[in-house]
Amino acid sequence: MANFFPRWTNVLPLKIAICLGFAGAGVVVGFAYYATPKAQRVGYQPAQPIAYDHALHVGQLGLDCRYCHSFVEHSGQANIPSANTCWNCHQHVRKDSAKLAPLRRAYDKDFAGYDGEPLKWVRVHKNPDYVFFNHSAHVNRGVSCVSCHGKVNEMEVVFQAKSHSMGFCLDCHRSPENHLRPLEEVFNLDYDAEKYLTENEILDASGNRISTQKDLGKFLKAHWNIQSKDSCSTCHR
Amino acid sequence: MSKRIWQHPDIPVEETEITSWRSVGELEKSPAFQEHLEREFPKGSGHLSEEERESSRRGFLKLMGASSALSGLALVSCRRPESYIVPYKKAPEWVIPGKPLFYASTRPTAEGGVPLVVTTFEGRPTKLETNREHPDGGASDALTQASVLNLYDPNRSRIFLNKGKKSSRKAFSKALTGIAKEPGKIAILVGEDDSPTRNRLRDELRSAYPAAKFFSYEALRGAGRRTANNAVFGSGSDDGCEVTVDFEKADRILSLDCDFLGVDPHGSAVEFSKRRQGGGSDYKHNIAADKMNRLYMVETAFSLTGGMADHRLRSKPSEILLVAVEIARKIENADQLSAEAKKELNGITKNFEILDGGYFFGGNPKDFSAWVSECATDLLKNAGKSLVLAGSRHNEELQRLAIAMNKALEAYGAGAPLQGVQTGREGYGTLQDFQGFVGSDTTVFLLGPANPVYDTPGDEFEKALASAKQSIHLGLRTDATANACTWHVPAAHYLESWSDARSATGVYSLLQPMILPLYDGVSEIELLSQLLTWKDVDWAKVASGDEKAPLLISGEGPKGAASPAYNEVRSTFAEIGEEGDTAWKEALKNGFLAGSEYASADPGEVGDVTKPAETEGLEVNFLADASIWDGRYIDNGWLQEAPDPISKLSWDNAALVSPKTAKELGVYDAIQELEPESNFPIVGKVKNAPKPLIGEGGNARAPMAEITTSAGRMQVPVLVAFGHADDCISIAVGYGQGASDGRDGTVVAREKDPFAVVGLVGINAGFNANAIRGEGFSAKVEKVEKLKAKYPVALVQEHNAMNGRALAREVSTNEVNHHGHPRSFENQVKNVAKQGPVDSHAPENISLYKRKGSAWEDDEDKQADLISDKIHQWGMAIDLNTCLGCNACLVACQAENNIPIVGKEQVAMGREMHWIRMDRYFATPTYERDSHGDVAKENGTKNKIKVPAWVFENPEFVPQPVACMHCENAPCETVCPVNATVHTEEGLNAMAYNRCIGTRYCANNCPYKARRFNFFDYNKNNPLIDHNLYKGPFAEAKVGDAPHLQRNPNVSVRMRGVMEKCTYCVQRLESAKIKQKQIGRQKTLKAGAHSTAVAVSADDLRIKVDSVRTACQDACPTQAISFGNILDVKKSQVWWAKNTDHQQKDGNFAPNPRNYSVLQYVGTVPRTTYLARVKNPNQAMPDAKYRGLATIHTA
Repeated sequence: MANFFPRWTNVLPLKIAICLGFAGAGVVVGFAYYATPKAQRVGYQPAQPIAYDHALHVGQLGLDCRYCHSFVEHSGQANIPSANTCWNCHQHVRKDSAKLAPLRRAYDKDFAGYDGEPLKWVRVHKNPDYVFFNHSAHVNRGVSCVSCHGKVNEMEVVFQAKSHSMGFCLDCHRSPENHLRPLEEVFNLDYDAEKYLTENEILDASGNRISTQKDLGKFLKAHWNIQSKDSCSTCHR
Repeated sequence: MSKRIWQHPDIPVEETEITSWRSVGELEKSPAFQEHLEREFPKGSGHLSEEERESSRRGFLKLMGASSALSGLALVSCRRPESYIVPYKKAPEWVIPGKPLFYASTRPTAEGGVPLVVTTFEGRPTKLETNREHPDGGASDALTQASVLNLYDPNRSRIFLNKGKKSSRKAFSKALTGIAKEPGKIAILVGEDDSPTRNRLRDELRSAYPAAKFFSYEALRGAGRRTANNAVFGSGSDDGCEVTVDFEKADRILSLDCDFLGVDPHGSAVEFSKRRQGGGSDYKHNIAADKMNRLYMVETAFSLTGGMADHRLRSKPSEILLVAVEIARKIENADQLSAEAKKELNGITKNFEILDGGYFFGGNPKDFSAWVSECATDLLKNAGKSLVLAGSRHNEELQRLAIAMNKALEAYGAGAPLQGVQTGREGYGTLQDFQGFVGSDTTVFLLGPANPVYDTPGDEFEKALASAKQSIHLGLRTDATANACTWHVPAAHYLESWSDARSATGVYSLLQPMILPLYDGVSEIELLSQLLTWKDVDWAKVASGDEKAPLLISGEGPKGAASPAYNEVRSTFAEIGEEGDTAWKEALKNGFLAGSEYASADPGEVGDVTKPAETEGLEVNFLADASIWDGRYIDNGWLQEAPDPISKLSWDNAALVSPKTAKELGVYDAIQELEPESNFPIVGKVKNAPKPLIGEGGNARAPMAEITTSAGRMQVPVLVAFGHADDCISIAVGYGQGASDGRDGTVVAREKDPFAVVGLVGINAGFNANAIRGEGFSAKVEKVEKLKAKYPVALVQEHNAMNGRALAREVSTNEVNHHGHPRSFENQVKNVAKQGPVDSHAPENISLYKRKGSAWEDDEDKQADLISDKIHQWGMAIDLNTCLGCNACLVACQAENNIPIVGKEQVAMGREMHWIRMDRYFATPTYERDSHGDVAKENGTKNKIKVPAWVFENPEFVPQPVACMHCENAPCETVCPVNATVHTEEGLNAMAYNRCIGTRYCANNCPYKARRFNFFDYNKNNPLIDHNLYKGPFAEAKVGDAPHLQRNPNVSVRMRGVMEKCTYCVQRLESAKIKQKQIGRQKTLKAGAHSTAVAVSADDLRIKVDSVRTACQDACPTQAISFGNILDVKKSQVWWAKNTDHQQKDGNFAPNPRNYSVLQYVGTVPRTTYLARVKNPNQAMPDAKYRGLATIHTA
């Protein structure tokens, strides 16, 4: 009987197995990288109904975060401002700009296109339902907006700067000293620890001048009794 | 491999041998029950039946097909969906997104308004707490807790009906216009809650419409009580006189079938429980026996009050009066009584023959005579501090006798426990008056919460209603009365309306709306107010078109103006309180007006009482239902699913009979078996019941019987009730309003019919006891016949049965002789810890959770053991001495923690989700004791003498709420393969739902059986639709558009396949802690310094002592639950409950002797501990030696 299979087919199964192995490994590696929040979420930058420019309002005009996100020190949620907050200024400033039309549709009864429908801002940072992050618990204890949201004051269009994965949360909860700063500087998004410490004299418990973020963090952690928990019910209820 | 069975240690020899049981099966040691004990879930609850398997296989294939078909589409939209944040346009004042707001309000009831603080999230009321500032506040109950669900009830009426057909607000307004123009006679029937605004409107309406008359009716308030109180404390029949009770001043209480702690509220349970604690409820002192109150109870079926009683006599309804007369006779003979009081009592007692009463005590009349005379002596000895309460359901004779006894006991007046009062309810006619008044020229308004077409006996009311010119019904449900009326108007819930109410002692309390009416409901005040103002409309102008025809306003007026009800309440407040905004705002903030109690009324002549006709043989006793009251809450899922506190039956009612009567009727064995006999036809369908069927799993069937009285006949399942009077059947009213399965005697209702008399919750629930009820709440049974049919019942008494020694512990204030060692009350209390066999010898527990440093951690703090927090360590203590077993905690927990209902079939299978399991045990000593305190033996033999049958038939009732104990050495944690349940630094046993994979190992390893598993997506899919849960993604979601609005946004809504359990309301703890964290900023601002210069200490971060309450603790009507930080040494209530201030040599504080851990010998070190129950029996009573010994050993 003739040989149906030529000789080279003898190694074919091996070749296939090796190829499949590589392909499988590729899928695993790819999944492990691309399916994580770091790859999936960071950089998410949806278009908003009004192209609100944080770089302009915060960076150039110097608005405080809390002018709009007014309850961030009191509530778990850092509220998105209600339309009347925008209108406080914009009834005087650039009222007729086309960019503000959605706001006026919602709020200005004298506007031709007024329909009274509230603005629908697109959510940028979204935690799962079973995560109960509380803003007030962090900003009142020396954790700045920057730590989780990045330099929003330089963003023309807001995007997600950090992964907000559970690992991201735990990194800080396990070593809060890397992020703690004086309460006065929590909403100062341009704060630089080294620079701040050269300009301001802060002494640690034994009276030595602090010069690094790590030392400052360690000092504040002890000084303010910060015990960032990493048990489940801290965030999951 | 079989499961390891824990070998429970022996009961110490010095303990009295106690027989304790939960169910017939346990008492009779049925093998099925034994299996229950040994399993983590009832058998079958974790299994799929053939049918389920089949449907899930098919479902899986369907799903696979559908998902592969859709996968092409799905790939295109791979990005996560956009979600939106929609802020307010104009932010309302006070609303902070994410933070709740609290408003004071009141729940109006006929027993007095219940003061509330309502939690709202962005305008949604989600949870009701008691208003502790209010003089009548401090207690809640299951009905109040569940009433918030009625607001979101998908079956709520939302459409105007005309003759059963859909109509409109406009059409109804036109009809109302017709009445305002040509009123004719008007009859207005309201509820018996006391609303000052309604009373004022009544007077104004009567002058505007001279032919208008007002009547009031509540099904369960009893005509006898009303007549007697009005006759003695007032002058006529409609005087609105009542009696208020102050238990703080009551040393001795005799209750004549008055369930004042349960379904027949009188006085404050808080005050009662304070006296139960014998001077001070803060645990700083041990119970002083002489300061404890004593409760005597004469009743038919066990009630929660009967469960608290120190002495209890079970008696048929007709005999309660006879027993009361015997006690009155003894009081009458006392020397200390004035001639006048003697004469008054004699006017009653002389008409009765002397009752032998021997059958109460196994044929020994001496014991009965001793019981009544010692009871009377005790009451007399404490004259001025003792009182007699008669059940509201009882006849006028008993009410008058009770008043006469109270007068003799000097119980009325200032400084005495009882006080006659003049309420604002005067001038409302009775139901009889109503029926006499209504004629063909009458317009009838039915505004009360009662459902008279369903719950009045006979058909006189229906006839009267039919004879009227037209009838208008205002109600939350399209119940039988709504269907019988010409018009039905959807009512506003009390959380949607402006009104006012008087609380139990008459404090003027306000109701304010939390939300605009969801379904455009109209409130009673709005309707009456507009009926009044429309009288003044110039109809000529309306006819000519100069003015617009008025339209019925509800919720808010045109252009956001206030509701007419608001203006009416303001006017009333201006009369009662002060005019102007300041006083009003203050009252609105507090929820009440201080110093506005009822005026007092003194008792007059009681009058003679003639003996009512005697009743021989079997009687039927109609009970108020602890879940659905008179039937008005039949569509409330939380209440339906909460098991009855006594019978432990959920979703149904049943005929309760004593074991003896059950044997006589030939049903006892059938109840005990509970095995289905397939040749019997089964009433109602329980689908998916797993087979083979065991115990009280999904296959529990109760035998059916047909009961005939002179009023009619009904078919009903029969259950055994321990401690029930013999020759008597008790049935709760309110059930059986509508059914789709063709059950006997019930209106036909179709599922999902918007106008049906009941919704998906109330359909096929129970049997209509009103069918055999005549006047009054007891009747003679003409015939009772056992039927061949059986009925599936969802009985939970054996579900998750805990097994062990000394689960619930009890001591007596009397000296108890233990094997020749008389033990005083103090010694018994000291011995509580030793009742659990080896508790005192158990070695100290070593934590398995010491963390030996972690790779990522260079901080020494973090290497401490896991329970390392130095600021907060949470603990709970449940005081069995004041726990009633009433379900308030269970329902409050359900409201707070988004616990779903699972429906009758799932409950029957043991899949109920309640985090708190309200265990209740019956217990009685097994053997007689001799003078040395040893087990008595028959002369010269080794045969132990059992206690007499009358003791065994009247056991003690011991409730015990059990939730997750938050063990420091939690057995559940070690077995979780994915670390979904772990310990927190603050001593909580945390449950991470998103990590749980549903192995159920934890539940298997929990000795307290405190864990619940989501077998289905109960939250997403409606469990009440037949077979719906088994359809997976194709199932029908929750019916209605509002139920999700009740959810607490701070608690995860759990999905299928995860475990859940009590969290100690961790969401409340976390928000309290987070609020406290603002202190750093506050201190900085205060000091005016740089934040780095201001230190924050551990004490700064510790929340204020006892400032956080768990939902169960807050709801408890007797404040039996203490919760708090056990590091608040000598400060928090829970610390005091667990410790005394006596410091031991080792520096630790000595434990509170009454405090103990359940199953301590297992070594779990639970954070929830219990305090032993104390009975305060009267030593001279014949049953005293059998009381106060009910320590529960189930293994």
